[in-house]
Amino acid sequence: MNLPILEIKGVSFSYGPIQALDDLHLHVDHGEIVALLGANGAGKTTLLKNIAGLLQSDSGEILYRNRNIERMEAEKIVQDKLILVPEHRQVFGTMSVLDNLSLGAYHHYKKTGKKEVAREIDKVFTLFPILEERKEQLAGTLSGGQQQMLAIARAIMAKPDLLLLDEPSLGLAPLIVKEVLNYVKQLRDELGVTILLIEQNVSASLKIADRGYVMSHGSIVKEGRAEDLLHNPEVKEVFLGHTV
Amino acid sequence: MKRKGIQQMSWKGLAAFTVLILILPFLLSTSLMITKATFAGIYTIVAVGLGLLMGFAGQISLGQAAFYGVGAYSTAILTATFGISPWLSLLIAITAPALIAYILGHTMARLHGYYLAMATLAFGIVIHVLLVEWKGFTKGASGFYGIPKLELFGFTFTQGISYYYLVWAFALLVIILSLNIIHSRIGRALRSIHDSEVASSSMGVDTGRYKMQVFIISAMFAGIAGWLFAHMSYSISPGSFGLDGSILFLTMVVLGGSTSVWGAVFGALLITAISSFVQALGSKISFITSDFEHVLYGLILMLVVIFLPQGLFPAIAAKLKPFLEFTGRKKKSGSITAVKGDQRA
Repeated sequence: MNLPILEIKGVSFSYGPIQALDDLHLHVDHGEIVALLGANGAGKTTLLKNIAGLLQSDSGEILYRNRNIERMEAEKIVQDKLILVPEHRQVFGTMSVLDNLSLGAYHHYKKTGKKEVAREIDKVFTLFPILEERKEQLAGTLSGGQQQMLAIARAIMAKPDLLLLDEPSLGLAPLIVKEVLNYVKQLRDELGVTILLIEQNVSASLKIADRGYVMSHGSIVKEGRAEDLLHNPEVKEVFLGHTV
Repeated sequence: MKRKGIQQMSWKGLAAFTVLILILPFLLSTSLMITKATFAGIYTIVAVGLGLLMGFAGQISLGQAAFYGVGAYSTAILTATFGISPWLSLLIAITAPALIAYILGHTMARLHGYYLAMATLAFGIVIHVLLVEWKGFTKGASGFYGIPKLELFGFTFTQGISYYYLVWAFALLVIILSLNIIHSRIGRALRSIHDSEVASSSMGVDTGRYKMQVFIISAMFAGIAGWLFAHMSYSISPGSFGLDGSILFLTMVVLGGSTSVWGAVFGALLITAISSFVQALGSKISFITSDFEHVLYGLILMLVVIFLPQGLFPAIAAKLKPFLEFTGRKKKSGSITAVKGDQRA
């Protein structure tokens, strides 16, 4: 049986009077792709920011490899190989593709050295050949799909054990979405990275996920195997626009 | 591996700029022009520090003139009142602004959003009031007189060519230090903070620490400039260190472009030239007063923000790109050197 790499136990968080997360529970097992679904404002991004240490929850526990990281600083969490790819890609637009990738290796750059980082970049290029073609181009001038690939590749440079992906398909054409999500699956299959994925494209994300959670008003309202959720009448109606 | 991009170009630019600085006094016809060129060096030191803060850490300081004033008044009080050596007071002129910047930055919850701009604005006002009202130490609004001249191994630096070279030696050191910072791993981290703080944190960059460090460095640079200004002028008054001064420094950086060290240098030189021109014009045309200068700076600031948000230097550098390899960091970065090549010479 797979052990959880991440466990969220009763986490609550509020932005002033607005309760964004309310006694939320979920877990992600080693080697899984878990999809986190929910309408806008359900609290998905807030949850990822809490896990990544960019926000600090009001109560509850965030256990990463059985260690509570709830009060840990973001930099330390990255060093523990828990990496967030934030929404809207957020590549460093005024920097080249190579500089972006170098920054991905920021926390272990000193330890591994330039040569090792260069080798890691070459490995990343085998996964994302288009980035090698554009390696000297400013990241801000890449297309949306290429920027998303760069954002994921940059995260790979940090050698993640757990990757938090916040809406990687946002604003991308359907064909590109498919391509990006294929890359996400490839990360798990080839590199063994565990992935917690937020995605508006419910159908596409459940197709690559093992399990899924449905969030509403800061809590988990439904969970199950991805395939079951994909065929669940309620999920279909709410997210896919199908009536039963 | 051959160096590419910004690294190679910045150092080439530095060499060309140094030669220009060395020969400039021989091209200037009057001692007033040499004094103006010396002031340009002092302003360059402040502007480069502010440029690092704005262009690389994404923060705005509206109190840079106050740090400049702290540097100037620390050395004035220590040397003229307590008889301490000016070279020893240089240490205080650097550490006092640094300490204030640390306290200010620390209390501003790791410098998020526009809090630093507001805090430095308030700080600038407080310092100005202190300089005017704390007459026992600062001699108040009438100014502090009798600041000793700088001497080194029996040589006295007086206003003119010797002080010009002294100021520009400091300015070049500041430029070199800044180029080193921005071309290092720290510089890359700073640029990432400017581009996206969330993504930067997600990559493990301690954004608060870096922003604090750059804020302290910018305050230290302003302190050095204040020290140079005090020993050049022999007398200082609070008027030089108020909000007007801070806005002047801000204008230099915005005009030149905050995304490269050279932008700040260019802005400082250009504003000094404009100021000299307006003052010369003012001696001939009665309605052109110092208030006119303020209006002109406001206008320049507005026009640049609207039409050239990246500043003049990157725009000019882009036009000259085919002819000169002398651009700021907006150029396609030579990041491959950061990964595979030698970081710095």
